[in-house]
Amino acid sequence: MIDFGAVGQSFDLLFSNFGPWLVVVPGIVLGLIFGATPGLQISMAMAIFLPMTMYMDFIQAMLFLTAIFTGGSFGAGIPAILMNIPGTSSAIATAFDGYPMARKGQHNQALGVALASSVIGALMGYVVLFFMIQPLSYMVLRLGPAEMFVVILWGMTLIASLKGEQVLKGLIAGFVGLLVGTIGFSEIGLARGTMGQTYLLDGVPVIPAMMGMFAASELFKLANKGFIVESADARKVKVSEIFEGCRMAMRYPVVMIRGGLIGVLVGAVPGVGSSVSNLLSYIETKRRDRDPDSFGKGNPKGVVASEAANSSSEGGSMATLLALGIPGGGATAVMLAAFAMHNITGGPQFIRQQTDVVYAIIFANFAQVFLLVIIGLLFIPLLANIVKVPMRYLIPSVLVLAVMGSFGLTGNMTGPATVLVFAVIGWIFRHYGYSVPAAVIGMLLGSLAEKSLLHSYQISGGDITYVFERPVTLAIFALLLISLFSQPVMKRLKARQEAAQL
Amino acid sequence: MSECKRDYGDFIVLMGLAGFTLWYLLDAIRVSATPQNLLLILPLAVIVLAIIALELILRIKHGSLFRSSEEEPLHKTLPVVGLFAVYVLSLEAIGFDIATVAFLALFLILKGERNWLLVGGYSVAFGLSVAFFFSQMLPYPMTLLLLPS
Repeated sequence: MIDFGAVGQSFDLLFSNFGPWLVVVPGIVLGLIFGATPGLQISMAMAIFLPMTMYMDFIQAMLFLTAIFTGGSFGAGIPAILMNIPGTSSAIATAFDGYPMARKGQHNQALGVALASSVIGALMGYVVLFFMIQPLSYMVLRLGPAEMFVVILWGMTLIASLKGEQVLKGLIAGFVGLLVGTIGFSEIGLARGTMGQTYLLDGVPVIPAMMGMFAASELFKLANKGFIVESADARKVKVSEIFEGCRMAMRYPVVMIRGGLIGVLVGAVPGVGSSVSNLLSYIETKRRDRDPDSFGKGNPKGVVASEAANSSSEGGSMATLLALGIPGGGATAVMLAAFAMHNITGGPQFIRQQTDVVYAIIFANFAQVFLLVIIGLLFIPLLANIVKVPMRYLIPSVLVLAVMGSFGLTGNMTGPATVLVFAVIGWIFRHYGYSVPAAVIGMLLGSLAEKSLLHSYQISGGDITYVFERPVTLAIFALLLISLFSQPVMKRLKARQEAAQL
Repeated sequence: MSECKRDYGDFIVLMGLAGFTLWYLLDAIRVSATPQNLLLILPLAVIVLAIIALELILRIKHGSLFRSSEEEPLHKTLPVVGLFAVYVLSLEAIGFDIATVAFLALFLILKGERNWLLVGGYSVAFGLSVAFFFSQMLPYPMTLLLLPS
């Protein structure tokens, strides 16, 4: 499973000169800045700096891009904790408990928890990648479109039922999100729901829509508040408390390991990645906890689960990229472009012929993870000062960044207009208790769900009995039903037990 | 007394979602009624409409069809939403730089900042630097009135 000869050669590649390492620190810093700025995406940072990699050799280019990836994965958690605005979709679940911790004045601890979980999660991802790259890629290949579709539906159901009391509203939001995600040209070349507008032919721009629903709508909600954290004492940034947060994360090794494993597995599924892994890990941790009601109210386990999963997803998505040449998301898509720029094609042949290069990338990422601890600790106190800024300054500034960032994503006014429309929708959704994360994830996965279903239809020739020949599909479907109905059934049983005790 | 207060907003949102779902389904059918086109949209739309109907039935049953939300009333935030809408819609007309500076200044005034030096200084410094940064970083042309494009 491990080629020790290639391991030796990879050390030569990495340590024969300092060249590859020169780009790692700037990469992590760039990732942290882009990840921590709402509206700026990790993939955007990688895309902007991609042309620079033309002047680097392949290893150096990969180190630079993975350093941005590593820094950005943690960076995205910082605004999620401090402002309830996930820097990217991979930090959605971080906000669920990280932000309530910040509102309670535990923002330093929450950041420490996120840093430690990110570091350990990323490390786990690459350790698993090192040992499992070949079996993992084989497993991903076995997932057909039918399984992919049921996985998406399962994920959607789990996300929609997060708000225990308003499951129906969560499901409505999630499924309407899925419908919105299918607007525009379909796989068979038919344009639906475009209202004759050419800018909708490629579908609703999902990232600007996400920025509107998460960032802008939350900022509208906070518009009448003085500070993110109302108490002046609670706004102090203390490095000692950040360390305390790091220690706090270590108290939940099971949550961390489970999150890490979910992250690697889900991260390896193309198109799903860290956007879903953080949510699945969070939901699983909440479901297994003795006190699930404490989640969403500032339980550090929620932050651990999310950050460990989104950081370890990097290893999983790298497995798919290296072994299959398929990008798992925006960031790995940029890496695939870097592969092409260096005339390299990912796939089983690449792994077999250039095992030393693959191992060099993995080992360099181990080192990057440790560098993230140092750079993260230096940057957190700077970035955590954000809680000291009055909301009347913070809100318009972040809105401006979101608008500019959305313009950067689309290159025209479609981006800012999408932010505006979805900010209003998100604001109304929040007000009336509809799940904003479910709607956003639905939009992200809509076209993938339709594509998977269509491919299954084409393979089966429209014969429904095809599903019964696929045990994995049936098993995932059973899990879907269990997750949908277990919560109300358990609640009813609990209420009955309590009534009997009285 | 609060029980007498009726909020039609939630009901309108629910009807709006049902309306969107129905419109999207009909539009998809109008484009093509083939199974390939409606494979996901038709069952999903039916499920959404069924869940909305169930939500309505449950609310009627519990007598909470027009219940009021516990959140802060929407009208309190409306000026901020309106200002943001004007900002986005004015970007191309007056340039990203001027629109951003004006949005920041008006927001600060709206939210009670009365130190005019801070209002002017912050809006100009932050607004122009952000507009300049993005205009230099992005490969697309940005409409700018004061700054060099």
